[in-house]
Amino acid sequence: MRRSLFALAAVVVGLLAAPAGAVEIEEVVTPLGIKAWLVQDRTAPLVALSFSFVGGTASEPESRRGVTSVMASLLTDGAATLPAQAFRLRQEEAAASLGFGASADRLAGSLQVLTASRDRGLELLRLGLTAPRFDQAMVDQRVAQAIAGLKQAEQRPRAVAERTMMASMFAGHPYGRGFEHLSETLKTLTPTDFKERAAALLRRDGLIVGAVGDIDAADLSRALDHAFGDLPLGMPGATGPAVPDWVPTGGSRTIVVDRPVPQSAVVMAMPGILRRDPDWYAASVLSHILGGGQQSRLFNEVREKRGLAYNVSSDLRVSEKGSLLVISTGSANERVAEAIQVIRGEIARLRDNGITEQELADAKTYLTGALALSLDSSGAVASLLRGLQTDHLPRDFLDHRAELIGAVTAADVNRVARRLLRDDAMTTVVVGKPVGLVSDR
Amino acid sequence: MPSASAFANLLTVERRPAETFVLANGLQAIVLPSSRAPIVTQIVVYKVGSADETFGQTGIAHFLEHMMFKGTSALGPGEFSRTIQRNGGRDNAYTDFDATGYYQTIAADRLELVMRLEADRMADLRIVEKELVPEREVVLEERRMRIDNVPASLLDEAARAVLFGEHKPYGMPTSGYVDDVRRLGADDLLAFYRRFYTPSNAVLIVAGDTTADAVHKLAERYYGPIPDRSIAPRQRPASGGTNLPQGVTRADRRVAEPDWSRDYLAPSYRVGETRHAYALQVLARLFGGSETSRLWRVLVADRRLALSAGADYGALSLGLTSFGLSVHPASGHSIDEIERAVSEEMKKVLDGDVSAEEVQRAQNRLLAAAIYAQDSLGSGPRRYAAALSTGNSVADVEAWPQRIAAVQVADVIAAARHVWRDDGLVTSLLTPEDRQ
Repeated sequence: MRRSLFALAAVVVGLLAAPAGAVEIEEVVTPLGIKAWLVQDRTAPLVALSFSFVGGTASEPESRRGVTSVMASLLTDGAATLPAQAFRLRQEEAAASLGFGASADRLAGSLQVLTASRDRGLELLRLGLTAPRFDQAMVDQRVAQAIAGLKQAEQRPRAVAERTMMASMFAGHPYGRGFEHLSETLKTLTPTDFKERAAALLRRDGLIVGAVGDIDAADLSRALDHAFGDLPLGMPGATGPAVPDWVPTGGSRTIVVDRPVPQSAVVMAMPGILRRDPDWYAASVLSHILGGGQQSRLFNEVREKRGLAYNVSSDLRVSEKGSLLVISTGSANERVAEAIQVIRGEIARLRDNGITEQELADAKTYLTGALALSLDSSGAVASLLRGLQTDHLPRDFLDHRAELIGAVTAADVNRVARRLLRDDAMTTVVVGKPVGLVSDR
Repeated sequence: MPSASAFANLLTVERRPAETFVLANGLQAIVLPSSRAPIVTQIVVYKVGSADETFGQTGIAHFLEHMMFKGTSALGPGEFSRTIQRNGGRDNAYTDFDATGYYQTIAADRLELVMRLEADRMADLRIVEKELVPEREVVLEERRMRIDNVPASLLDEAARAVLFGEHKPYGMPTSGYVDDVRRLGADDLLAFYRRFYTPSNAVLIVAGDTTADAVHKLAERYYGPIPDRSIAPRQRPASGGTNLPQGVTRADRRVAEPDWSRDYLAPSYRVGETRHAYALQVLARLFGGSETSRLWRVLVADRRLALSAGADYGALSLGLTSFGLSVHPASGHSIDEIERAVSEEMKKVLDGDVSAEEVQRAQNRLLAAAIYAQDSLGSGPRRYAAALSTGNSVADVEAWPQRIAAVQVADVIAAARHVWRDDGLVTSLLTPEDRQ
C-alpha cells in the first residue's frame, strides 16, 4: 500500500548552474586510451560511475523501433555463463547497482559499488558490456513489460500529452517518431536484433565516463581498462537512419486528446535553443523567469493568484539535433482553458515587454547557486561529470560558469525572448475533457 | 544463524554520528555534519499528520502545509520561497500520515537565513482569506493530479479505508475528502496550527557543511525564544478495520491491464507486535523486494504468470502499518491463477521453508541500500525526520543496521505467521472496464 506523501512541489527542472565551491576534476587517460573525469571523494566508502556511448533511440531503424531501450535493460539480465538470476545475485553480493538506459542520442549506464566490493562490481560491468546473453526468455519478459508499459502510458494524461507534443513538434524527424505500432514492432524483435544493436552501440570511441568517490586516478585507470577495454574501437556502424539537424516547421496548433479524467494535462512547446548556442545562458535565465520555480511568472499568475493549477513550469529540453522550450501544467477540465489563456498572456507579455532588472538578478543568483544543491550524492556528481563532457564543456567549466551567467544582460534575455517565445510556432496539447477547447485541425 | 562476518563488509562502514541537543522550550535538534559540498539542508518536521485529523476536517494538515508559505507578520505571501530562491536555495514541504515536514537546501553560509525564516513561521503564521481561497483550489488540483486522475490511487484510497477502518487514522486520505477541503476555513487552519506547531512538537534537523556548535547557537537565537505550548501525546488505535478479510475492486475504463494487490495489517515499530518490525523488513525483501525475490523468481521468471511482482513494508508509523503484495499479471493469466500462485509461495514461508542464505541476502540488500541513502544529503536527514516523527529515537536510527543484521530465519517465519492472516487483509483488484 502506498504511503501517500503530499508535497508542495515546484519542481525545478534541469537547471544548469555552478557549485558555490570548487570541485576538483581530474582527467584520467588509461593505457588503452579511455578518457574519464574523476572527482575523488572519501566521504563515503563507495564509487559511482556514470558513462554513455554514442547512439540512442533516434538512430534505430524503423523496423526495429524500441530495440535500443529494451536492449539497455537486457544488458543486466545475464552475461557470459551467468543467467539473469545468477547475474543479479552477484550484483547483490557485491552490493552493487548497475543499470542502463537509452535517450534519443546516447546509451547511458551507471554503476554504484562499495569500495570493499569494487572489483566485483567492475567485473559485472565488464560482463554486461561485453558478453550480454539476450536469452530468449528474458527477451520475452522485457518485451512484454515494455508493451505493458506502453499500454499504461496510453492512459496517463501527462504521458499522452508529452508523446503527442513530441510527434507534432518533431514531425518527420526521428525525435518525433510516434508510438503507433511500436508494440507490434517490439513483438517481432529477436535476440539477434538486440545483439546487433548492442554491438553497434557499445564501442570505445565516443565513450564518456564520469567517476566519483573513494578511488584514485591509478585505480580508476586500471578499472576502466578492465571494464571497457574489451569493447571494440570505432564509432557505431550505420545500422539506422542518420539523425539530421531538426528544422522547425513552424505553425501554431492545438491538439485535444480525449481521456476520461477530471484534470486535463497540458504541454505547450516551442522550438528551443541548442546547448552550444551563444545565447544559452540568456535562454536559461529566460526560462527560469518564465516558469522555473516558485518565483516564476507562470507560478505566480497561474497558481498563486488564481489557483488554476498545482504544477506549472517551463524548462529547456536539449538534445543533440534539436531542442524545445516546454511549458507543462494540469488544470480541472472546467478551468483549463483559462489556465492556457493565462499562460499565453504571460508568454506574450514576457516577449513584448521584457524582464525587470530584479528578475534578472534573482534568476542569476538562483541559477548560480542551484547546481551545488544538486551535487548531494556521489551518483549525482558522477552524472554531472558525464553531462559536462556530453555538452563538450571544458574541464574547468565549473570555475567559469558563474561568470557566464553573470554576464547575461536584460537586453540579452529580451532578445532571446523575442526569438524563442513564438506562439506562432507553438504546439499546445491538452489531454482530458477540456471544456471549451477543441483541436484546430 | 548468519555469521557476524557475513555483514562485516556492511556493518563496519563508518557511520557519521548524529549530534543532538534539546532547547529549553523542548525543540529537539539533530545535526549531521558533512563537508562534501558547501551546502546545508534544514528540515523542520512537526509531529502531526493526516492521521491526527478528524473526519469532517480531513486534508487540514496538508492544507495548512500549503498555507505555511503564505506569510507571517514579517513576511508577505510567497516571500518565504522567493527569499530562499533569491539566495540560490530551494525549499519544499510534505505531509504524511504522521508528520509534516519543511525543508530547504542552500549554500552553507545562508544557514542562518533559513533558520530565521523557519522559526518565524513556526511562531507567527498569518492566514488570510484572500490567500486561502486560491490556495484551496491549488490543493484540490493537487488532489486531482495525484488521486482523481489516477485509478490506482483511487483504489488505494478505498482499500486503505477498509483496511484501517473508515474515518479512522490511516483510513482517511492525506489529501482529504473534497467536501472537507471545501469547508475548511482560516479559523480551522489556525486552530490546527496553534495546537500542533509548537517547539516541543517539532524536530530540527540540519545536515551538511556545518557544525553542531554553529547550529546550536543559531537554534538558541531563532527557535529558542518561541514559547512552548504543551501537547498531549498522540493516540493511534491498536486495531484496524473490522470484518476483514475484504475485497475491493475498481473497474475503470482508464485502466489498460489488471493489477492485483493485497495488504495485511501489520505492526510498526510502535504499535502491535513490534518485535516483528525488523524481521518484516527482511521478509518483504526476500519475498518481493527485488528481481531475485521469491515472488519475482517464481511468478515472473519461472512460471511467467506475471510481468512484475513485489512486496513492501514500512515500519515507520506511529500506529499500525501494512505489509503489501502486488502483482501485474501477464496477459492470458487469470487473477485466480495469480492468487493461487501467491498463496503457494506464502505457504512455503509459513511452513518454514526459508533458508539462512536468502535471509542473509535480504539483510545485505537492506544494509547496502541504507549506506547509499546515507551518501545523499537528501535521503540521509529524511531518515531521521521519518523516524523521529513516528516515535523513534536517534539511537533507534543508529542501531538499525545491527537490528536488521540480528534477524534470524526463525524470526522471519514467525513474522510471516503473525502478519499473513486472513482476518487482517484486504485484496484489491484494479481492472479495465468492459469496453464493448
